[in-house]
Amino acid sequence: MLGSIFLFEIRYRFRRPVTYVYFVLLVLIGLLYGSAMGGAFNAEIAGILTGGGKNLANSPYNLHFIMSFLWIFYVFLVAAIMGVPVYRDFEHGTHALFFTKPISKLDYLGGRFLGSFFVALIILSGLAIGTLISSWMPYVDQEKYGPFNLYHYIKPYLISIVPFSFFCGSIFFATVSISRNQIFIYLNAIIIIILLFLAQTLFNEIDNKTIASLLDPSGNTAFTHETEYWTVFDRNSRTVPFTGTILINILIYFSISVTVLLLAYRQFSMSHIGGLSNVRGFRITPSKTIVSTVTFRTITTLSVFRDLSLRNHIRMLFSLARKEAWSIISSIVFIVIVIFGLFLLIVTLSKQGRIFGTPTFPVTYQMLEILTGNFEIFILIIIGLYAGELVWKERRFNVHLMLDAMPVPNWLAYGSKLMAMFIIIFLLMGLIMLVGLITQSVQGYFRYELWLYIRTLFGYRVIDFLLFAIIAFLVQIVVNNKFLGYFLMIILFLAPNTLLPWIGLEHKLFRFGSDVGLYYSDMNGYGHFPLGFISFKLYWSALGLLMIVASKSFWMRGAEMEWVNRMKKASQNFSKNSFILFCVALTLLLGSGGFIYYNTNILNEYTTGEELRRLQADYEKKYKKYEYAPKPKITAVNLNIELYPEKRSFSAQGTFILKNKTSLELDSIHLDINNTLDIKNVSFNKSFELLVSDEPLGYYIYKLNEPLLPSDSIELTFEVSLEKKGFSHDNFETALVYNGTFLNSFYFPKIGYQPYGELIDDDVRKEENLGPKLRMAPINDTIAVKNNFLTNDADWIDFEAIVGTSQDQIAIVPGYLQKEWRENDRRYFHYKMDSKMLNFYNVISAKFEVLRDEWKSDDGRKVNLEIYYHKGHEYNLERMMDAMKKSLTYFNDYFGPYQHHQLRILEFPRYASFAQSFANTVPFSEGIGFIANVDEEDIDYPFYVTAHEVAHQWWGHQVIGGNVQGSHFLSETMSQYAAMMVMVNEFGEDQIKKYLRHEMNEYLTKRSGERKMEMPVLLSENQSYIHYNKGSVLMYALKDYIGEERLNKALKGYIESVRFQEPPYTTANEWLRYIDQVTPDSLKETVHNLLGSIVIYENKFADVSFEERDNRFLVKLKLDAKKYQVDGFGEEHEIPLNDYIDIGIFSRKKMDGKWQDSVLYFKKHKIVSSNQEIEIWVEEEPDKAGIDPYYKLIDKKSEDNTKSF
Amino acid sequence: MKLIIERLSKTYPNGTQALKNVSLEISTGMFGLLGPNGAGKSSLMRTIATLQEADSGSIMLDDMNVLKEKKRVREILGYLPQEFGVYPKMTAVEMLDHFALLKGISKKNQRRELVDNILNQTNLYNVRHKKLGKFSGGMKQRFGIAQALLGDPKLIIVDEPTAGLDPAERNRFHNLLSEIGEHIIIILSTHIVEDVSDLCQEMAIIHRGEVLLKGNPLESMHGIEGKIWKTVIDKQELPEFYKKYNVISTRLFGGKVIVKVYDEEEPDEFFDNVLPELEDVYFSTVKKHDKLLSAI
Repeated sequence: MLGSIFLFEIRYRFRRPVTYVYFVLLVLIGLLYGSAMGGAFNAEIAGILTGGGKNLANSPYNLHFIMSFLWIFYVFLVAAIMGVPVYRDFEHGTHALFFTKPISKLDYLGGRFLGSFFVALIILSGLAIGTLISSWMPYVDQEKYGPFNLYHYIKPYLISIVPFSFFCGSIFFATVSISRNQIFIYLNAIIIIILLFLAQTLFNEIDNKTIASLLDPSGNTAFTHETEYWTVFDRNSRTVPFTGTILINILIYFSISVTVLLLAYRQFSMSHIGGLSNVRGFRITPSKTIVSTVTFRTITTLSVFRDLSLRNHIRMLFSLARKEAWSIISSIVFIVIVIFGLFLLIVTLSKQGRIFGTPTFPVTYQMLEILTGNFEIFILIIIGLYAGELVWKERRFNVHLMLDAMPVPNWLAYGSKLMAMFIIIFLLMGLIMLVGLITQSVQGYFRYELWLYIRTLFGYRVIDFLLFAIIAFLVQIVVNNKFLGYFLMIILFLAPNTLLPWIGLEHKLFRFGSDVGLYYSDMNGYGHFPLGFISFKLYWSALGLLMIVASKSFWMRGAEMEWVNRMKKASQNFSKNSFILFCVALTLLLGSGGFIYYNTNILNEYTTGEELRRLQADYEKKYKKYEYAPKPKITAVNLNIELYPEKRSFSAQGTFILKNKTSLELDSIHLDINNTLDIKNVSFNKSFELLVSDEPLGYYIYKLNEPLLPSDSIELTFEVSLEKKGFSHDNFETALVYNGTFLNSFYFPKIGYQPYGELIDDDVRKEENLGPKLRMAPINDTIAVKNNFLTNDADWIDFEAIVGTSQDQIAIVPGYLQKEWRENDRRYFHYKMDSKMLNFYNVISAKFEVLRDEWKSDDGRKVNLEIYYHKGHEYNLERMMDAMKKSLTYFNDYFGPYQHHQLRILEFPRYASFAQSFANTVPFSEGIGFIANVDEEDIDYPFYVTAHEVAHQWWGHQVIGGNVQGSHFLSETMSQYAAMMVMVNEFGEDQIKKYLRHEMNEYLTKRSGERKMEMPVLLSENQSYIHYNKGSVLMYALKDYIGEERLNKALKGYIESVRFQEPPYTTANEWLRYIDQVTPDSLKETVHNLLGSIVIYENKFADVSFEERDNRFLVKLKLDAKKYQVDGFGEEHEIPLNDYIDIGIFSRKKMDGKWQDSVLYFKKHKIVSSNQEIEIWVEEEPDKAGIDPYYKLIDKKSEDNTKSF
Repeated sequence: MKLIIERLSKTYPNGTQALKNVSLEISTGMFGLLGPNGAGKSSLMRTIATLQEADSGSIMLDDMNVLKEKKRVREILGYLPQEFGVYPKMTAVEMLDHFALLKGISKKNQRRELVDNILNQTNLYNVRHKKLGKFSGGMKQRFGIAQALLGDPKLIIVDEPTAGLDPAERNRFHNLLSEIGEHIIIILSTHIVEDVSDLCQEMAIIHRGEVLLKGNPLESMHGIEGKIWKTVIDKQELPEFYKKYNVISTRLFGGKVIVKVYDEEEPDEFFDNVLPELEDVYFSTVKKHDKLLSAI
């Protein structure tokens, strides 16, 4: 019997066309993503999805990734299929037929469940099938595919899709069958989605990774967790393991599923009434018949006034909308979504905005970003869901025929529902605002910015939601199948940012709902962004209006659903008023579209990604041959800059002195001038001719009529300007803004070929017919070291500049203020640098407050300290000031004197989140320290970032490497080291350990995204995860091995010999020679191993024990330590151990009222074999033992470095 | 007021021809549409009620083109579909008030008065605050009638209104309709002959999409006077009777079978001539039509 019900269910499903629609859609989605991964669109898109480089499109990792990443479709499909099998019988009243047959509960439920689950599994296999088909398509790049292996498709299906579908299916099936109420489909789906999001939020914190992996029922987080450290080699060769958190996750959710099913089985009653009310023990009282009470009454026909005027209909619009809105607000699903959404918000609010785990003050813009960002998905779910509910409400309750015959115009029926949705959206915006204000208040932050809240939520952010509501209605009305409508909504939601740009519809005018961005900064407010943003929203609103006309016309009315009749009715419904509205909307659409086009394509240049690539490739193809051609170098820069912040424009006149430092006569000079600039004049003080003028690529060749002799100089004068007009397609141009201008030396002419814009990705290069490219020249390249890695057209320069800006702003460039004056309602500043500096400078202008202080060295040298900050951002100024002083002290002592007598920090808007060191000048983003809320326990990152940037005044501005591998090590890693040393002195070891743990995790995670090849730190090629994150860990280990004093002595010697050197520039190899001099022979191998190769340890204990003898304790440790040499792609080879590694024994004690670890023994032991045994005597009872307990060595699994007895 | 239906035809996409060249003239008063299930009654009524398109033909209500000017029709229409549901969480008062609002009764107190009145008339006043989800079949049906009568409609279309009503309720309903049905058009479809014979001055028999007979029930009955013959036989004799006579209906009575036969003359001596009922008109018409069809 079970078998036949099973077959019945399957047959039922396969007779329904929608089953095939789902399957085909999934195959298409699989095909789409598969094709994208295989490079069907272009190499960049493929790279984003597959990780690029050597990653294979069909690597087991990528196949698993793509199949689990589309989880939302599974939740949805499983809901559509498994939520209804039993419900259907109740809906159609056929349950009575089944329940009166001699079938058991097991047959009925089992058959229905298994049948529908079987169908769900078949449909879900569509994704794998689509992906598989894509790999055979002629348009994919076969080189990106490894050998075909069916198992790689089946395994993700089995360990990701099947368990998750089983879980979803079980709870959908069980809850709906018991309650006989479809509401549970929604409730369960919401809970699943919320668990997923919660898991993702928690996953951001290192300590929460395991719990997050177990929390996420889709297994995605577990998958991410288990594979987060996978290298390219791992991704291509290993299948995702069915162990660890993945296995536990599946077991947990499998048991929950089975429990739920069993409970459902017990509760399910094959009775007519059923439903939850029955389960709870309530009984529905049958209504009394009224046969006996019949009386005849006289009929009085009341004459009534029926107001069918437009005015009354408009009044009705509001009252009906209010009713509909209330019916949504009072529904359980809505309340659940909102409550869970808020719960998730509160969790995220407490976690987000953190840097190194340290929170920020709850400033309003951050509140708004988190609130809209995290709550957005819930608002979209509410809109999508209730659009379906509202459109289907009358038909669901079968009251539609009565209502459809009433004198209610379509626009009123449709409009009241849409308006109800709008009311809901506005209420949710209000709720967000409330949560924001409460959160701020609770955290003791009382700088309420109500107007910012109102403007952002009800002005800007609300528009997208309103549009989404319109489109959700249209889809539901046109598709006329609720679940298919939901499905399409998901696709429509994803399409504007994935599918459309892939197929070449890159212009935002074609991507529904898109805009040119709207970014807030405390310094610059919304700046110039609203114009473009609003233009786009107006444009989309016009389209929305057209959709409203369409929705109104196609509004379901009456008894017929066939398309022939629907078209007929739609044309009837398309009234004169519809036509007028249609014309208005079309005019608005064309008008705003035209305005946008004028701005993005005429006022500004519109370049597609492909075009940009082409330009980059052309530049390289045409001019790469001049890269090492002999050229003069800049020795002096003199600028005269006029900034007009309110117009977002500047003009500049400049004079560069160029000197022929070569031994050859130079007969031409090549200039590279930023092609967005207007060039008014370029001339030399010797006679010349313009030979090549390539404006699109910004390359110019000037022939000198008399050659420039060796050691001779020539003066280059230029005049350029730039004005930002209207808005561009990529409006994120933040160099010129109303408050917080930040220009740098790349806006001024460069001498000769500039390689910085060359295409990097080898696949992309191949598509542009360029060969593979080295990221950086090899460390022993003797030509490349003749330039430093920052600029190839200068060594050290003299610098002077006059900057004019609006009268309420302060403009700053490197150098010392010579004079300040006002002229023509403008303010001018004259700066001059009195010592050598790199050809690397910035121009900043903003309304600033200034905090001043000074620092004195032991030998009495004075350095003026200044922080230019935005009013209101006073929180961490003292920390920064303190960090500057402490850094100057430490660096002055250990690295040598500071070359300037002033040091300034300049706050700039948060459009970028970095701080950057220029000579005596440090621009510092408002987002990475100014609003940090540092607690005692937290990592003080304002302090740390400041220390790092101050360190660059030595490491970068005194010591600068040649343009070869490893030079980022010399600037960045060394600055990391320097900053860490200041931090240790200030905050102690504990904070550094916390910091290093973070750095280690960053390194291990990010190395898996490597596109080319991982390099050892000494040969790093501008790979931030190496020169920052890994560099920190390694330098701390190095300091630990050879000692701070000895290491600093070597560094001081090194700096003394290379500071301000002329070419050839120093390299990391030279640095290593200084380190070697202070490294004991016994440690040399370890040190070289650490810095010159990629080594990973796997340190843990095989066994730990101790015995007590005469009040002393003999600890016996058996190690299980391994050391691997790793190649650039992540393949690991075990190599023998021969290293000194920390061994520690700890006890657990209550200190200062808290249980803490206390060190009983801590010493480096020489480890020469994996299973080495160690015996140690300690005086107190030990609690646990550790091998490298402070994670000084790179170890993928650091939590097993300590083991309890 | 006059409703004129001319040559109305409708074929569903699945091939079923629901209406074939239907032409009817309907004046004020009660008009009965009689026919078996699936005859096309509901299709016709939905078309008049603006809920369905016709393939060809026209429907005019005085100067109003029903197929085109749906808006105007809806302003004077009261419609009870054959099958309908309710919002289970709402009470009768709430939902009727909602309907009244939709029908354009904008004044709140007027609406209340009207709803109370209609609740009284349909005898739902006592249960007006009860959730509709807990209504019995009969109560629900009366609720449906109530909403159709709401707002003083000039054209009332009620599709199988008596389905699910017990005899007393049906009786009451008949009274209700007959009182309001004098100056407006009420079209009532039913497969229960008494509904028509009790209420309607005019009627049409519709079968397989075609109008087989239209006219006054009394006149129709007169038309077959003397042609309806009745006898009582044993069950086992029935097959033979079917072969031998033009049997239009059979009914069990006390274990025997009452057979009615249509014949111009006395078919056999054991038949008694009886006064025709409307039922006999109905059955003889349908029978004749089916015979004709099978003959083709």
